[in-house]
Amino acid sequence: MIDFSMYDVKAPKISAFKCDGCGEIYYPAPMICRKCDSRRDPVTGKGWSTFDLEGPCTLLTWTRVWNLPDGYNKKFLQFGIVQFENGLRASGRVEVEEPKTGMKLTATVEESDERPGKPVKIFVFK
Amino acid sequence: MAARVGIVGIGHTRFGNSSEYDLADVMAYAATDALRDAGYLAQRKEIDQVFVANMASGMFCHQSAVASALISRMDMEPVPAELIENGPASGASAVKIAYMAIASGMADVVLVVGGEIMRKVTGWNATDIVATMLDTETEYNMGLTLPGFGGMFTRMYMEKYGLTERDLALVAVKSHDNGAKNKYAHVQATCTIEAISDGPEADVVNNYIAEPLRMYSTCPVTDGAAALLLVNMDSPRAKQFAKKPIRVAGVASATDTHCVHNRKDPLQLNAVRIAGEKAYKMAGLGPKDISFAELHDAFVILELAISEELGFFERGKSFLAVRNGETRIDGKLPINTSGGLKSKGHPVGATGVSQVVELVRQLRGEAEPGRQVKDPKYGMSVNFGGFGNNVAAVICAKD
Repeated sequence: MIDFSMYDVKAPKISAFKCDGCGEIYYPAPMICRKCDSRRDPVTGKGWSTFDLEGPCTLLTWTRVWNLPDGYNKKFLQFGIVQFENGLRASGRVEVEEPKTGMKLTATVEESDERPGKPVKIFVFK
Repeated sequence: MAARVGIVGIGHTRFGNSSEYDLADVMAYAATDALRDAGYLAQRKEIDQVFVANMASGMFCHQSAVASALISRMDMEPVPAELIENGPASGASAVKIAYMAIASGMADVVLVVGGEIMRKVTGWNATDIVATMLDTETEYNMGLTLPGFGGMFTRMYMEKYGLTERDLALVAVKSHDNGAKNKYAHVQATCTIEAISDGPEADVVNNYIAEPLRMYSTCPVTDGAAALLLVNMDSPRAKQFAKKPIRVAGVASATDTHCVHNRKDPLQLNAVRIAGEKAYKMAGLGPKDISFAELHDAFVILELAISEELGFFERGKSFLAVRNGETRIDGKLPINTSGGLKSKGHPVGATGVSQVVELVRQLRGEAEPGRQVKDPKYGMSVNFGGFGNNVAAVICAKD
């Protein structure tokens, strides 16, 4: 017998993708590599590898949104676009009191169940 | 040689709140206006093709197959009719496809109708529905919305070029001056720079939506429809219409990365630039030939950025032209003579068609007193889909 409740819940992750043929990296995954035209198989992932997108990043721009869509019961949320050290970029939430363009942040991944349906993974830049 | 294509009929509902009405009725009203304008209402079953532009009636109105609904509402069976969906650029895409149908020889007379009823749902729900055009995993799921991208784009532009919030307010004041005189506009009211920027109550009147964008930097949520009747100017059938055609001199579209973060320089709107260049080339024109323009100002920053991509102003300098009054109705290059999306409103599926209706009204000399451009020859519109990932441009000419 195995008791799953004994184990920690796995931390949510967001994957970036690498074409094994030429080494080009992506977020999100394309169907075809822009450099070598290798096709990614969305089921097996053959010919492509994945890696966790997280860690140090730089804030390129940000906003504080006051008119949130359905499901978000908060006064406002902050969003931003960041660049990782490997050159990949991502959009996500910004959770610092006074965001400033160019500031160094750390990308973390959380689960959001604010909208109806299954929870989704989101970037939170702290 | 491809046939010349002209517009002989225009129709437009008053934009605003039509949420108690049926989408097919609202679209049919604009369509019948366009047919009456062309003197072709009684011959409507002779139309070769109908294209309906709509972004999201399934979500806004719980209604699909709107092209079929429109045909029956107008007693036009068996005229072929299809839906064109390209987000908020559905309207100009439908104009482009109508042009292609005529130029290819498959049709001589094409009716284009764009419409959207967005106010059947709450504002929060409408914001969510519009946000579904973003990349699902990397943008929508994060909680991002179109105003969110507008805010981030604006901050980048401000930090690079020195644009101020007051400059954004000046664009809004200019557009509302025009919209206040447009009988079709949603918000037919002027606003002053004191009220929305300089005065002591400006922070309250003009609150933040997505910083640094404020309420007067963003378009309202609007219902409405617009319609155009396009014809093959070289066909014998062209003689049947009551109005002299306004020629479609150029029409083109282009795409950019779906995810905004994947653009090498997120401040460059490549799809706008490429669609504009292709439309200029087709028309044999350049930015200096354009008499006035209708640019997709869902957020007023986009009016500025699009005007630069089209070559009207140097990159990072368009707001200086606004300060100098160059884009006012009596300026060197009037922009958003209709009031733009800011004042006229933005029923997403209708907007691209509505922009071309404004080009025709101006080129015919039919705009209301006080917002008629003096002797215009060429008008240009840009309809912006997603956050710049699918854009269509149209140039109309008065021959």
